[in-house]
Amino acid sequence: MRRAIVVFAAATALLACGSAAAAEGWWTFDRNTNLNSTLTWKWTYPPSPAQYSHNWRAGSGSSTDECRRGEGWLPAGWYAQWGHWNHYSGSAIRGRVWWLQDKYCYDGVTRRVELFIHSEETTDNGQACTSAWDDPFCWERDADYYSLGCIKLARPSPVANFPSDLGSAHSHYHAYGGSSQHGDLPNDAYELYVFS
Amino acid sequence: MVACAGCSDGKQKQTHSHPASPSLPGLYSVGARIFGLPEGPVRLAAPPVTPLAGWLTPAAVPSADGRYLAYNSWRELRHDDPKLSWPDQGIKSGDALATPSIRVYDSRSGNDDVLAEGAFSLAWRADGALAYFKGAERDYRAGVSYVGDVVVRPSLEGAPEAWSSERGRYIVVGWAGTRLVAYVEHEGEALDVVVFDGPGRMRVLAASSALVAISPNGTQVFVEQGPAQGRPTVRVLELATGRETAALDLTRVDAAVGWVGYAGDWRADRVVASSASGLALFRVAPGKISLQKAVRVAASGVAEPRFVDSSGLRVKAWTSVHRGGVLLDCDVAVGACDRTMPLPEARGIHGFPTWRRPLYNPSRPLGTS
Repeated sequence: MRRAIVVFAAATALLACGSAAAAEGWWTFDRNTNLNSTLTWKWTYPPSPAQYSHNWRAGSGSSTDECRRGEGWLPAGWYAQWGHWNHYSGSAIRGRVWWLQDKYCYDGVTRRVELFIHSEETTDNGQACTSAWDDPFCWERDADYYSLGCIKLARPSPVANFPSDLGSAHSHYHAYGGSSQHGDLPNDAYELYVFS
Repeated sequence: MVACAGCSDGKQKQTHSHPASPSLPGLYSVGARIFGLPEGPVRLAAPPVTPLAGWLTPAAVPSADGRYLAYNSWRELRHDDPKLSWPDQGIKSGDALATPSIRVYDSRSGNDDVLAEGAFSLAWRADGALAYFKGAERDYRAGVSYVGDVVVRPSLEGAPEAWSSERGRYIVVGWAGTRLVAYVEHEGEALDVVVFDGPGRMRVLAASSALVAISPNGTQVFVEQGPAQGRPTVRVLELATGRETAALDLTRVDAAVGWVGYAGDWRADRVVASSASGLALFRVAPGKISLQKAVRVAASGVAEPRFVDSSGLRVKAWTSVHRGGVLLDCDVAVGACDRTMPLPEARGIHGFPTWRRPLYNPSRPLGTS
């Protein structure tokens, strides 16, 4: 699933020589299944309209009904990104995360809240793997792509050999048009589009 | 009286809607209109909706004596188009977006008044005590977690008392005897089922779980964990001690079940819950949960299934379709559901679909259930 899409033949040279600060980037999320959807980081070098992108397998929800709070995948539409942390220390989500705005689902009534792009890792970007079936801060198996609604990316752990997709997404975000800032970033220009 | 007219009438069924006389069993809403009342349909001052809770908690709750209907309402302070991001709509961090409120309709007087502004999710006990979440601020604002407290009033007229010892994101669900069952919501909509034994006495009953139902005598709860928390599982827990008395690994039963959702119902020894493919019916015995039946329902997702009567053979629920909520009337023995869309012309705010939801009181014991 992990692949780089290069729009122009000269892309490699552009990536090598282009100024990261000059790039403008955004996320897209293409919902396919709860366990296997696609998160993409796209960027351009204005004023050129050429788009570059890199994508990763990602999961979201355990149901495809976006109105089911705590179960459904991320609702469709544009999202503002409200913060990015490398060492987030929440009770349920930790490590490298991006915080997204709240969103009405398709019924126009139910709001989904507390939405993130994240993985299963510790605050210090490590792994806390015990003998339990599913540690919340350890990426053990395919089922870890399930979430309560957030977008989840895999990462390696001592007990499973998954790709370093969270690390890759984090690197691309910072290198190609994402903000260099961390923390609570209200009114941030970086956005996510979730396809219907 | 706000009682469940037709709750025990298993004969009323229709597959086609008729605006003048929808005849589904029990109490339900179509937008702001409420059906199933003995005195006939009424139109509330606002539609019962729970944007910040979905159907983790009922949209409206009848009092045990049937006189009142307490309900959640939502007043938008500015329109929020889900297709657009907040910055693209000029919405900035901290902007007030909406005001949630709890209102009470009095079937005797016809009054429909605000009980609490900046509040949502309520539970109504048999003796009239009312619990709900009260926000620290009145308005829900962009980019600001809507935190507050769980408060309890001994009656509608009584003064509210905080039962939570610290502010948080709580969603109140129901009373289990004198104990209050609620959720604490964390990042990513992660939920802990918590129980309040009294003011300042909260404990986590089931971490990373959600509530299916409270037992008829109010001493136990049936909780679920979905695949995002490990193996999909259902459990029965004692309210007083938190002790697990029974559990069922859903990966070892009919694969049609898959996982089980919150907001179901428990009558006698039977529990009904939504599942990955429709409905799952369980039988609860001392120390054991067994799957009675998995009913496949062709729908995007079933919500809030309720037993219609004590036979356990008929279940009502609802699901979403493009044109709005559709009520389901399911025959468990046959394993099929009829769909009904009363008032098909009804439209929600800003042209969005209209919610059609069963309304109920999940607290136990109620004396009327």
